[in-house]
Amino acid sequence: MADTETHPDVEAQQQSQEPELDRGFFEAYAAKMISNPDRAYRMAFYVATFFFLVTTLFPFYWLAMIAISGDNVADVGIFTPATPVELGAFIEIFTQLPFHRFVFNSFLIATVATVIVLFVASLAGYVFGRLRFRGKQPLLLLVLVTSFFPPAAFFVPLNRLFNTNVDVLRPIMQDGSLYNTPYAIFLPLSALFLPLSIFILMTFYSQIPEGLEDAARIEGTTRLGALFRVIVPLSAPGVATAGVLTFISVYNEYFFSSLMTDGRAENWAPMLEGVLGFRGQFAVDYHLMAAASIVAVLPVAILVVVAQEKIVSGLTAGAVKE
Amino acid sequence: MASETPPGESETRLLMRPLNRLEMLSEQAYAYVLLLPAAILLGLIAFYPLVRTFTFSLRADDVFGADPFGQFIGVDNYVELLSGQALIPNQFIDPAMNEPLLRQALIVTVLFAVLSVFFETLIGFGQALILNQDFRGRRWVRVSIIIPWAVPVVIQAMIFWLMFNPTIGWGTDFMQWLGVFGDNPLANTSNSFIIVLVADIWKTAAFMALLILAGLQSVDRSLYEVARVSGASPWQRFKMITMPIVLPALLVAMLFRTMDAMRIYGLIDASTGCEQVPTLTCLVITSFNARRWASASAVAFLTALVIGIMVLFYIWQFRKTEGGAM
Repeated sequence: MADTETHPDVEAQQQSQEPELDRGFFEAYAAKMISNPDRAYRMAFYVATFFFLVTTLFPFYWLAMIAISGDNVADVGIFTPATPVELGAFIEIFTQLPFHRFVFNSFLIATVATVIVLFVASLAGYVFGRLRFRGKQPLLLLVLVTSFFPPAAFFVPLNRLFNTNVDVLRPIMQDGSLYNTPYAIFLPLSALFLPLSIFILMTFYSQIPEGLEDAARIEGTTRLGALFRVIVPLSAPGVATAGVLTFISVYNEYFFSSLMTDGRAENWAPMLEGVLGFRGQFAVDYHLMAAASIVAVLPVAILVVVAQEKIVSGLTAGAVKE
Repeated sequence: MASETPPGESETRLLMRPLNRLEMLSEQAYAYVLLLPAAILLGLIAFYPLVRTFTFSLRADDVFGADPFGQFIGVDNYVELLSGQALIPNQFIDPAMNEPLLRQALIVTVLFAVLSVFFETLIGFGQALILNQDFRGRRWVRVSIIIPWAVPVVIQAMIFWLMFNPTIGWGTDFMQWLGVFGDNPLANTSNSFIIVLVADIWKTAAFMALLILAGLQSVDRSLYEVARVSGASPWQRFKMITMPIVLPALLVAMLFRTMDAMRIYGLIDASTGCEQVPTLTCLVITSFNARRWASASAVAFLTALVIGIMVLFYIWQFRKTEGGAM
């Protein structure tokens, strides 16, 4: 610091423009902030931004450090991996457990649930957004109330229902019950996330001008045709929003996903059982857990980067509608 | 466009005969028909189970029977739960807290909900204020703030479990250095509670941030100019302009988050375990796993009731501030 060319005091004097005071760098900066408050707010802004970026992103960085630490994972530091760095964990997760199958199960469940939700919520959103009928407000309130109930309040009867052997289902399922099938997960989750999509689509559908629908009807489309050929395509951003939010929510869900299968990949257990599977009864493969977490988080991370506008508008539309 | 009938129209009409019936319906009837799929889905998965949960909760536990539900005993399950006599699995009993189990779970859950929503609102407000600025790289800052929100619950739990794991985590050392934690925080009730709280705040502050941001962006910018000209300080501008406009959005966001926090389960189950942080939903699952299905139903129904009461309280507050926006 103590450079012979420019003495720190001289520098500080030049900066602070208060030659009679002897100030260091921080004091000079503070003096400027007092004389110019906007500078203080800008400084606070940078500090806060930096703080939030570190707190949200650092856990992922550390997860990556664990994943590449290999067998010496116990030596992992806060900022550095243990040596030697090994990338084998990213292959081992697919050989030690069929992690790809778990992720596939999750994708299948999330996709089917999204399709169901979009279809059912399109019909309901159209009704609530565009039609006038008696009982609209109470029914809307009922949908809202459903989204408030805790999943636990549905769990015991649903578990019993899905464990009941029904002869009708025997040709499709081995023992005629829905437990250990994707149905036991995507049916409850479709219902659970349906209200949010109804609210989002209702908002978007109600914004399509009346005239467009009337024109389509005069052209000879059926009522349903007008809905699916005019209103839904025109509300494509809304449909995409509802779809992205539903997909992420179902993929991320824990409660039903962990309780409706026995946790084996071949029994349609979703991704979470795969991640927890590396936390065995006797040994814990930390680096494999971290690698599996990174692999499983990638799809949603990409979805967030690609569809962040949709997510933001969807979350706010869903809440503001209430 | 001309409205001539395309050549294939009449055949299509015949094939679509079931759909033609829809054309004849009144708007009222048509609305009900279109609501049918939603009604079936919600009825089968939500309303029917809710009613069944209530009827189950009025029966006795039959742990060893073929049917886990014994005879009808009325509200005895609720009385036992609330007065502390219930024989729910004992693993929740914390030597330090000689409270009845349900009251323990209720306290833990409500405390968790209140604290997490409070801190999430604070942090979310901070994040929203930053995202409300115009600066280069705003898009990427927003992505990195949203990403924790989009992380699967199990991975959120994993991150914090690893962080406070005695073998590899640095979180324990750090907290011990601050003088807050003991040796193995994941096996200690109060330390685990803090871990779960921090993990929840980490993940869901972004949700608050986005909703508050929506409120912030609905503020008319020219109001700030007027205030600036009349000499209001930034703090005064925030208090007199920003707050009143954001408040309704903030209340809605807090309502959503409170209900969500009240049903916390996955994060706890996958990180510290239900023994350390016994919330209401945890209690449902542990009772269920012990084949005390009737008690589990009673706890579940009580959870729904508690959440229902909180929702009513919020809506009442909201009505007061907004003059009825529903």
